[in-house]
Amino acid sequence: MVAITTVSTPTPTPAPAARGPMAEAWGIFRRSPAAMLGLVILILVTLMTVAGPFLYPVDAFEIVWAPLTPPGQEANIPLGTDNLGRDTLAGLIAGGRATLAVGFAAAAITMVIGVVIGSYAGFYGGGVDNLLMRFTEFFQVLPPLLFAMVVVTLFQPTLVNVALAIGVVSWPQTARLTRSEFRRIRTLEYVSAMRAIGASNSHVIWRVILPNALPPLIVSATLTIGMAILFEAGLSFLGLSDPNVMSWGLMIGSGRQYLLDAWWVVTLPGLMIFLTVLGVSLVGDGLNDAFNPRMRER
Amino acid sequence: MTFRTGLTRRTLLAGAAALAALSAPLSLAAQEVQTGGTLVLASLQKPRHLNAAVQSGIATAVPAAQIFATLLRYGETFEPEPYLAESWEYSDDAKTLTLKLRSGATFHDGEPITSEDVIWSLGVTKENHPFSTMLEPIESMEAPDPQTVVINLREPHPALLLALSGPLTPILPKHVFDDGQDITSNPKNNLPVGSGPFKVTQFEPGQHIILERHDGFFLEGRPYLDRIVIRQYQDANSGVLAMESGEAQMFPLLDATRLIRRLEGAGTMVVTDQGYAGIGPINWLAFNTKNPALSDVRVRQAIAYAIDRDFVANALHAGLSKPAIEPVVQNSPFFTENVERYDFDLDKANALLAEAGFGEGGQPLTLRIDFIPDNEEQQRAVAEYVKAALAKVGIEVSVRSSPDFPTWAQRIASHDFDMTMDQVFNWGDPVIGVNRTYLCSNIRPGVIWSNTQSYCNEEVDRLLNEAGVEPDLARRQELYAAAFGQITQDAPIHFINEVPYHTVYLQAVQNPPVSIWGTMGPLDEVWLQQ
Repeated sequence: MVAITTVSTPTPTPAPAARGPMAEAWGIFRRSPAAMLGLVILILVTLMTVAGPFLYPVDAFEIVWAPLTPPGQEANIPLGTDNLGRDTLAGLIAGGRATLAVGFAAAAITMVIGVVIGSYAGFYGGGVDNLLMRFTEFFQVLPPLLFAMVVVTLFQPTLVNVALAIGVVSWPQTARLTRSEFRRIRTLEYVSAMRAIGASNSHVIWRVILPNALPPLIVSATLTIGMAILFEAGLSFLGLSDPNVMSWGLMIGSGRQYLLDAWWVVTLPGLMIFLTVLGVSLVGDGLNDAFNPRMRER
Repeated sequence: MTFRTGLTRRTLLAGAAALAALSAPLSLAAQEVQTGGTLVLASLQKPRHLNAAVQSGIATAVPAAQIFATLLRYGETFEPEPYLAESWEYSDDAKTLTLKLRSGATFHDGEPITSEDVIWSLGVTKENHPFSTMLEPIESMEAPDPQTVVINLREPHPALLLALSGPLTPILPKHVFDDGQDITSNPKNNLPVGSGPFKVTQFEPGQHIILERHDGFFLEGRPYLDRIVIRQYQDANSGVLAMESGEAQMFPLLDATRLIRRLEGAGTMVVTDQGYAGIGPINWLAFNTKNPALSDVRVRQAIAYAIDRDFVANALHAGLSKPAIEPVVQNSPFFTENVERYDFDLDKANALLAEAGFGEGGQPLTLRIDFIPDNEEQQRAVAEYVKAALAKVGIEVSVRSSPDFPTWAQRIASHDFDMTMDQVFNWGDPVIGVNRTYLCSNIRPGVIWSNTQSYCNEEVDRLLNEAGVEPDLARRQELYAAAFGQITQDAPIHFINEVPYHTVYLQAVQNPPVSIWGTMGPLDEVWLQQ
């Protein structure tokens, strides 16, 4: 948080904090068992998708055994096979990569669009705000799943398009949040002070206000990752995902027909999605507490 | 040539009943028909309307075959039986067909069914039905009296008798439909006045179709049931749950093999794959022969050798689908064993690819495969299997999914594809359902289920066209065998499996629909044991 130290120069220097704000936040985060559990889950899931292919080198698309072999029946196929006879564990490993990638990419797209629009609207106010917020409302009132389906249907259901579709339907909330933060912060004294020493608008927006508006945005971004993962699963369930890239949603989508007699085909990727989203949410909650000044005083 | 009454199921049943009566008192004397009751049919199809004269497809066919009578009907063999026509006769040159209608037959509104109605109905069907080859050779029709129809043909047309049955040429009341409106969009198509064993009283799209017994049906004592309800379900799972709970008594046209196996295991239901010889449904892989790589027959043959039909039939379809090896199904009278089968052989596949300059050491080959959406087991799963199978011979396949059926159909009809999974029906006679895929003249961009492969072989055209006008069955079989031999050699299509349509019904259902048309023929003989 370089920005905070920079902007605090014009104001009377406060008593030097014992720790930096990030370290302080981490201290609060670390003391929350739920947040730490979420972090551990996320680290494990990430490890699985990164190191998994080396520890369990099976091609997720290769047909290795009889279709719908239950878990545990064959020693070398611990989690059974899907409707085509592809290894479920290999699918979970490869699918995790795609699913996490979609989650992070969609969250990044959401943040970029949301923050740019929200910050300009919040900073300039007036006509610009009016125009940008009407634009945002237009996207806000679109039913998100339906709109994402249209986007994916019009273009091809590739992972990039799925991520784009999710990003395009999720940014309005971030834009609203950013705008409200900007409206609050732009009236604070240190912003006026920066203006007084002749800082340009873009300097004030990106260097002064944004760093101070970041904490709630980081929390929001974290939760967006979880939402995007669920969204990808939902689109895949409806058959709108890239059939050439293994993802958890794809596994659920192609396994749903076998739900009545092969529970593992849908349950295992479903469980992975559940765990990952749970991890992301717990981390998000933990971050929320950690960035909350009221928590900090304790 | 007068018709001969073959050994039909009805005569067999009568014989069996007589035998049973003779043999032992504990035999099923209860086989005496019980009338009345409601049969609930589970259905996944969504008909646009119920007038099969202007609409093809199984969704309309099932209700339409109950609402409308046809001139002829078929039992379990490809041998025509009397229905609305009580007798028929071909002239010696096989270019004139004279049919005698039953007297006293009436429409659901009580008006008599006359030769005028028949001629008008056949005319409407000829003009509007998507299967344009079905009645195309009809030059003129005459009605010398209200009970006689004479059909004059330009050339012999052996497919005609079959075309006069099942869901293909329903007899409509002229006095109702001939009202100056376009028949394809006539609102009367939703609740039509018909001529068959059941009259439609309710049609709620997406919900149900209610068919009530027509008391004035021209076959004495039929139908046995009081009512048929065709209840629509969103997916096969919910239809199966309805069967398990007893909400539905019969589930025809079910092709989800795991679910068929599940119902089979329940022990309270009967599962049969009979009743589908007429539609002859084939699940296949079609090649766009205009694709630079796929224009080489060796590449197409190599792909065929690299695909293991037995894996599809046994592993993907739980052993319930039969392998398909040629343009017609095994139950067709024109099926021949004498074709190149392309049994799974990776060495041959690799050798052919190498010859064509692809495979190991050759050019890399990348192809795209499409599939019909919303059909996981038959289409998507097989497409994904093809991807995995062709990876083994060094062909990289990317699967392209379509969000809905129209998108897929549009892509294939405009020839924007390399390979596609497809499902095409024989519809009983090659002239109706087979020729369209292979004739050079049927390369019609924009039309789905035409020759979208852009396949053209003059010799095949000659054989198919000659067989189409050959009245002698044995000679016809020879001609088709030759045509199918050449087609499989040229491999514009790699035939994979017959769609494993099954009918599941509760044990109380008697005389289940096992004719060649199954539930796409009249269900007037079905009864419920109470």
